[in-house]
Amino acid sequence: MKYRRYVLLVSVLLVSLFLLSLGTRGGGAGRPADLLAVLITPLEATLAKVQRSALGVWTTYRDWKNVRRENQALRAEVERLRIQSLQVEDTHRENLRLRRLLALRDRLPLSALAGEVIAKEWGGWVRSVTVNRGRRDGIARLTPAIVPEGLLGRVVEVRARAAVIQLLNDPASAVAVMVQRTRTAGVAEGEPGGAVRLKFMARDGGGVQVGDLVVTSGLGGVFPKGLPVGRVAAVEDKGSALFHYALLVPVADFARVEEVLLLTGQTGADLFSHFLTPPET
Amino acid sequence: MRLTFALMLLGGGLAQTSVAPALRIGGVAPDIPLILTVLLGLRRGPEVGCLSGFAVGLLQDVAAGGFVGAQALTKALVGFAAGLASERLWVSSPMVQVPGLVFLTFAEGLTRYWLLQLFHFPASFGDVMVHVVLPQALYNGFLGAAAVLALTAVETWRESSPWR
Repeated sequence: MKYRRYVLLVSVLLVSLFLLSLGTRGGGAGRPADLLAVLITPLEATLAKVQRSALGVWTTYRDWKNVRRENQALRAEVERLRIQSLQVEDTHRENLRLRRLLALRDRLPLSALAGEVIAKEWGGWVRSVTVNRGRRDGIARLTPAIVPEGLLGRVVEVRARAAVIQLLNDPASAVAVMVQRTRTAGVAEGEPGGAVRLKFMARDGGGVQVGDLVVTSGLGGVFPKGLPVGRVAAVEDKGSALFHYALLVPVADFARVEEVLLLTGQTGADLFSHFLTPPET
Repeated sequence: MRLTFALMLLGGGLAQTSVAPALRIGGVAPDIPLILTVLLGLRRGPEVGCLSGFAVGLLQDVAAGGFVGAQALTKALVGFAAGLASERLWVSSPMVQVPGLVFLTFAEGLTRYWLLQLFHFPASFGDVMVHVVLPQALYNGFLGAAAVLALTAVETWRESSPWR
């Protein structure tokens, strides 16, 4: 009984050696191996198929995970590029605005200082913007503030490094103006509703029409002559009243103004011709 | 039980040509039938180890297209040796089984090389040892450790299971 295992071992070794010797005689392992091959080949094929399927599932899962990760990365990239695009667009627009402002400053025959809007007051009581130029930059009270389109307002309060500009449509704002085509004089006043109204035009001052451009008249000595103020949107006929009234659409877009020019110098010349250059796009 | 055993041997023998290539690391594939043979020999004794080794070795020989009988012989020897070791040495601990598997893989490689030398196998001993036998022995040890742990876990579960 004890030797049975050794008999088994020797038998197995002999069978193996027999098979080996069959293989080395040039005829392969002969019929036993062929028979075994016939049995295991379909099994191998089945196993290979199962393995391929399992690998396929695994590969699909891995691909799906990769696609998911890639998708997330691409989404983040798209988001980043979108923000970058907006920043570029913003910079481009700012660049255009500044170019126009600088071009205007270069054209004007008086000294002017560019300022950036750092605050806005848009309530019904007060309409103003604050710029980052003040006493240290030589800004004084009543300094006119313009944008490339025309007049914005005037400085009403000066601080060391900032100045508050009263906008044309502030209820307390009043600017001496004239209709550019007919030279009819009047006063442009702001209203609590945000509109700008042209008041005190002589009734028979001569055919003010919708679309007429209104510019500063230079009277009063605060604003230089010829700064565009707005266009007539409607003429109000008050019947037998002594004066004509008109509603103006200001040339400056108060809500979107971001940079201004502060006119620090003085001039008696009519500046209207300097605003005729078409805006750059 | 015998059917399970036969299926296990068949699966183990064929796994070498189907599963093992997928487990390759750096060009080295584990010898799954050898791991199976050693574990069976350690747990079931020399007779089972010897027959298992012969069966899976023969399957490998036929499936791989080498010298039919070479692996049958070497694996039968390894299975027998593992079975004898389990009777004479304390081999129930994974700390013994895994190094034992590494050693037996190495021994099987040496035996196979010696056997194939009789048939004028062309590769040099150094190349075979460095590129085949030693890396495969280490890989077998690693995979064998995982197999031993899995088997231990399954046996523990079966012993504690109320349905056994």
